Amino acid sequence: MIDWAAFVVVAGASLLGSVVVVSLYSLGLRLLTSAGRALVVDPQSFTGAITILTPKRAAKEARRARKTASANPLTVGQKRLALVGAYACFVLCVGAVLYGVYLIVPALHR
Amino acid sequence: MPVDFTLIVVLVIALALVFDFTNGFHDTANAMATPIATGAMRPKVAVGLAAVLNLVGAFLSTEVAKTVSGGIIREGDGGVQITPEIIFAGLIGAIVWNLITWLRGLPSSSSHALFGGLIGAAIIGIGFQSVDYTVVVAKVILPALIAPLTVGVVAFIATRLAYFITRRDTGRADGRGGFRYAQIFSSSLVALSHGTNDAQKTMGVITLTLIAGGVQSVGSGPQLWVIVVCALAIAIGTYTGGWRIIHTMGRGLTDVKPAQGFAAETSTAATILASSHLGFALSTTQVASGSVIGSGLGRRGATVRWGMAGQIALGWVLTLPASAIMGAFAAGFALLGPVGIVIDLILGSLVVVLLFRRAQRSRISHDNLHDIDDAGRVVKIRKTPRKIARRDRKKVAL
Repeated sequence: MIDWAAFVVVAGASLLGSVVVVSLYSLGLRLLTSAGRALVVDPQSFTGAITILTPKRAAKEARRARKTASANPLTVGQKRLALVGAYACFVLCVGAVLYGVYLIVPALHR
Repeated sequence: MPVDFTLIVVLVIALALVFDFTNGFHDTANAMATPIATGAMRPKVAVGLAAVLNLVGAFLSTEVAKTVSGGIIREGDGGVQITPEIIFAGLIGAIVWNLITWLRGLPSSSSHALFGGLIGAAIIGIGFQSVDYTVVVAKVILPALIAPLTVGVVAFIATRLAYFITRRDTGRADGRGGFRYAQIFSSSLVALSHGTNDAQKTMGVITLTLIAGGVQSVGSGPQLWVIVVCALAIAIGTYTGGWRIIHTMGRGLTDVKPAQGFAAETSTAATILASSHLGFALSTTQVASGSVIGSGLGRRGATVRWGMAGQIALGWVLTLPASAIMGAFAAGFALLGPVGIVIDLILGSLVVVLLFRRAQRSRISHDNLHDIDDAGRVVKIRKTPRKIARRDRKKVAL
């Protein structure tokens, strides 16, 4: 028998999982940027890798981040709130992934 | 003769583990090519992590193994008697086809090669009634068609979302570089999900062999030692395959942005994990390709190169019947008895040695990155300069 419902479950679960995880992480990044703490990946920490991000570009992005931070109209309190929100998003994102893995491991349900 | 019987079972198990090893070897790229390409991870770390997570993933679930061992071929009472010889022939077919496609740079799926080989061998060895075609359609063919499409749509939506949420209103930093860190986790999830789906297939084959050999009862799941050796074989394969990736990385991958890579990997992992849970034997390569295409389309200015997409689709369609023919040939010999098995082994190793020698000569042009890389090239991204109106620059992001 072809179990069409199972296909719908797989499609629904993967859509839900991806949307939740990607949205939470993106929102976290955005809030982090708003809080004036935009993540700039230092190419030095990826020495072994193919350097897609050149030092020049990294410096440019760091400059941009500083500019954003300095021109940030948010008050100190708002920034702090955004930072807390960002961390909350990251925690929720990790939580969502762990919950997803928990769901599929039968050994954890016994 | 009990000695002969044990020998063939041992032989099949060894062959299955070789297949498992090549599977890990072939598929490291699926999980780790994007984070290495975007500079999210150092290659050594990425490859080691992929190996460990494949190992862990193999222990998480056994649903797919049960699909392979208990569904596709009607074994036991009321069904037909499948012999270890048939499984042996099927494996030879799968391995040979896998190596041919790998050498010729054709996109193919190790999983479909395995199923094709087994089906072909069973049809020749036993007859058409030996294969449970409903299970083949329901758990192998339909998932193969539906999964890449579904994951493509999911990856498209996820990519759009990621770009929308982090959109740049002001021409200032958008923090998208931070997706590089996220990729460390998303690609790890892909490696984990690969273990939950692909390692299971070999477990299923070994379990099927043990059932066929009368060592294990019909309908039971894989034994612990089977799970352990399969997990180890795929992990070692992943690690070995990773070194090839590092050495061939200079060729350059498709242009994958961190946000896009993260969205694609999350979709891939979510789809494979959900499928493993329900016992669908997916091709992880096809799912990864589908999501790379979907996420590419989610980027600004993307168009599809249909010719390339058609080529990939053709390779996918060909795999099952072609490996079935290989498996059928091998089964034809295997039916001759011990002599046939020896002929199979000699022919099989001859092909393997030949292919490896040719691979040595043309290592740079044919590497194991082609599947995902080709999928990435299906999408063409137009480079558009972002023009941000002066008045918008005054506004500040939140």
